[in-house]
Amino acid sequence: MNAIADRYSEQSVGSIFLYTNEAHPGEYYPHLTSMKQKARHAQDLREVLGVTRPILLDALDGACHRAYGSMPNMTWIFTKAGIPIYKSDWTDALSVENAIQYFLEVGKRRRSGERMSGFQVERIDFRTQDQEGFRRGLERNGPKAVREFYTAFDQS
Amino acid sequence: MIDNKLLEQYNYDEFIPEKFEPWLNFEASPPLGQSGPDFPLWNLDNTETRLSDIWSQFTFTIVEFGSFT
Repeated sequence: MNAIADRYSEQSVGSIFLYTNEAHPGEYYPHLTSMKQKARHAQDLREVLGVTRPILLDALDGACHRAYGSMPNMTWIFTKAGIPIYKSDWTDALSVENAIQYFLEVGKRRRSGERMSGFQVERIDFRTQDQEGFRRGLERNGPKAVREFYTAFDQS
Repeated sequence: MIDNKLLEQYNYDEFIPEKFEPWLNFEASPPLGQSGPDFPLWNLDNTETRLSDIWSQFTFTIVEFGSFT
């Protein structure tokens, strides 16, 4: 997602990371109780996990996150007028880049004089399941996060 | 007014279905093609901004929601 932000920034595509609640709280990164703590975790997202996009914090009660469906790692694309034109209940860089390329192409076609009208489309996209990487992420949060995830989904 | 119960429930302390499943509401999220709701957001230096301040700067804005965990 950082690479997409870099690749399209000169085509007037902005990218932000909006910090929500903790999806898998653990001993090292527990559930949030203050904005100060939220900012600290967000700073680690930049320093430890390497998120280079601007990181913005949602309110502690997740007002924005909840209004948009409060999925743990979703992505939305908005127009300059604030109209959502893409929403995905999970973040996948290939899916996002595919969408942004399409929307940029629509802009080019419009500027070349093509008359266009929008329509609704639904589709299922597919993402790689990196189970080892996900487990390493849980371990970074603390043993509690590992235990609770595998208990919730009855996996070892 | 701060709703302490909401704060506690949203910032759940355990990843157990009773606590995280109620928040998975993507099917009830705003529809595409209509103005999205706007909210205040905060930079890491604690300065306030708004989602609309972000999306109004660009032709398209990609917003990834998530956390460290």
